[in-house]
Amino acid sequence: MKKQGGWKWSVLVALVVILIVSPLYFIAIGGFMSTEEIFYKPPYLFPPRPTLAYYREALSTLLPYIKNSFAISFGTLLLTLMVALPAAFVITKFQFLFKNSLSFLFAFVQMLPYTAIIIPLFLMFTKLKLIDSHIGVVLALSVFLAPFAIIILRSYMASVPSGLIEAALIDGASYFTIFTKVFLPLSAPGIASVSILVFLLAWGNFIVPLAFIKQETMRPISIGLYVFIGQYGVEWNKLMAGSMIYTIPPLVVALLAGKAIIAGLTAGALKE
Amino acid sequence: MKISRTSLLFFLIPSLVLVIFFGIYPIVYNVFLSFKDVNLISYIRGTARSVGIANYSDILVNATFWKALTNTAVFTLVSIFLQMVVGFLLALLFDREFPLKGLFQALVMIPWVMPIMVSGSFFRWFLSDNGFLNNFLTALGWIKEPVMWITTERMAIYSLTTVNVWLGIPFNFILLYTGMQQIPGELYESAAIDGAKGWQRVLYITLPVLKPVIITTFVLGCILTFKVFDLVWIVTKGGPGGASHLLSTFSYSLAFDRFQFGKSTAVLVLMQIIVIVFIGFSNRMKWEER
Repeated sequence: MKKQGGWKWSVLVALVVILIVSPLYFIAIGGFMSTEEIFYKPPYLFPPRPTLAYYREALSTLLPYIKNSFAISFGTLLLTLMVALPAAFVITKFQFLFKNSLSFLFAFVQMLPYTAIIIPLFLMFTKLKLIDSHIGVVLALSVFLAPFAIIILRSYMASVPSGLIEAALIDGASYFTIFTKVFLPLSAPGIASVSILVFLLAWGNFIVPLAFIKQETMRPISIGLYVFIGQYGVEWNKLMAGSMIYTIPPLVVALLAGKAIIAGLTAGALKE
Repeated sequence: MKISRTSLLFFLIPSLVLVIFFGIYPIVYNVFLSFKDVNLISYIRGTARSVGIANYSDILVNATFWKALTNTAVFTLVSIFLQMVVGFLLALLFDREFPLKGLFQALVMIPWVMPIMVSGSFFRWFLSDNGFLNNFLTALGWIKEPVMWITTERMAIYSLTTVNVWLGIPFNFILLYTGMQQIPGELYESAAIDGAKGWQRVLYITLPVLKPVIITTFVLGCILTFKVFDLVWIVTKGGPGGASHLLSTFSYSLAFDRFQFGKSTAVLVLMQIIVIVFIGFSNRMKWEER
């Protein structure tokens, strides 16, 4: 039997949790304050004269960047799934030569430092004319995220009964039909969980667009927020308002699908 | 089950093409570039000369390189140790039933969910000389002069390490917590009959039973922390004076601030070697554990 905590325990946990999430609170209220108020001594714990002006201004400045972020994130999600799903299918359900080496290859690529791939890719992409293009960013992100997705999908897909696939094979179904009609529907919960993780990681990624996108109109919001960090000083209130706007989509996803995120992360890490 | 070779290739080719062309080829290419005098112009024109081991010998006498190397070691090991301690204590806190548990668990994930540009910018403000932390501590009367958390050579890397501990809480918590849920309740019950209580339960049951999960968390933590680039780039950009560079930010600034791609790739090759040695070492550690 599990130990019981009761409301007193909830209060204790709440104090710790408030400490952990407090940065988000200060970002949120920073967007309602003037720069002087943000740096006021002693610091404000609530906005003294809240105004929506900075949020409004930040949103209108950032809108094009947000569009780019959605394009990059959904593009990455699409490419990652197209690449990872078939690979995860054969790796989980079939025996073949070099299967272990292949799994190691995927794990290895995922472990490499970002810079080790980004810097040579920058040179390659310069020649291929993929700099300042969303395609280049999507390709580079997928290199890291497809192996990550494969590793997580494997542990989910192991639970799809092999008997169903064998039966379909005996009935004369092609591997492709089995993949699309039997395997994918049965793996739906795992695919959903992986999609959420891949989307969040693509949405939050910083280094890939930093290295590959110099043209302002192509930048996602992760780099776009630098418009508030000028040469002669930072517009902190707009930076914080913009940060909050940038955080809202992942925050909503986390609160709606926290369980799926947790399940995906632990599946990739613990169930090898 | 068996699968024909054509069907196998059909399913594997997309991932193989992606990973080999854009993942493996670049890291092999690094080795090639690290022996050349590459900058952007010589690269595009194809006129980069071979310089032998000059890039490596230049790097190895560069003080910032050694600073970045020791910083990376301190940053990785201290982060991991503290993240695991905090994550473990938090997991113990959640290891019982109480009202609103699900909500709190989702909230603990927030440092992982927040984009790094957001948390990085926040801490750049929070730790700045006239930022929240200094103003807050002055108001409490704990300090008289602002502490230069991220603007002195001595302190910057430790401040960044502390921030990274916060960033790593969700990951460490969730792995250790999930591991704890798999410990059978009978173990605790029989320990209770033997008179174990409080910290003894943790010391003699939770920790030993959790050992495989702790090792996995440690290995993954090392790999993830060694990869960190964005936090340092956003908060200090490796400064002041290169004092808070990690190998990742150092290699990046060589490439994109100074366009010395040859030297940059030499650093990358050294990083790749560290990762490969670590993977070999951790595989052996896991193997011995079995």
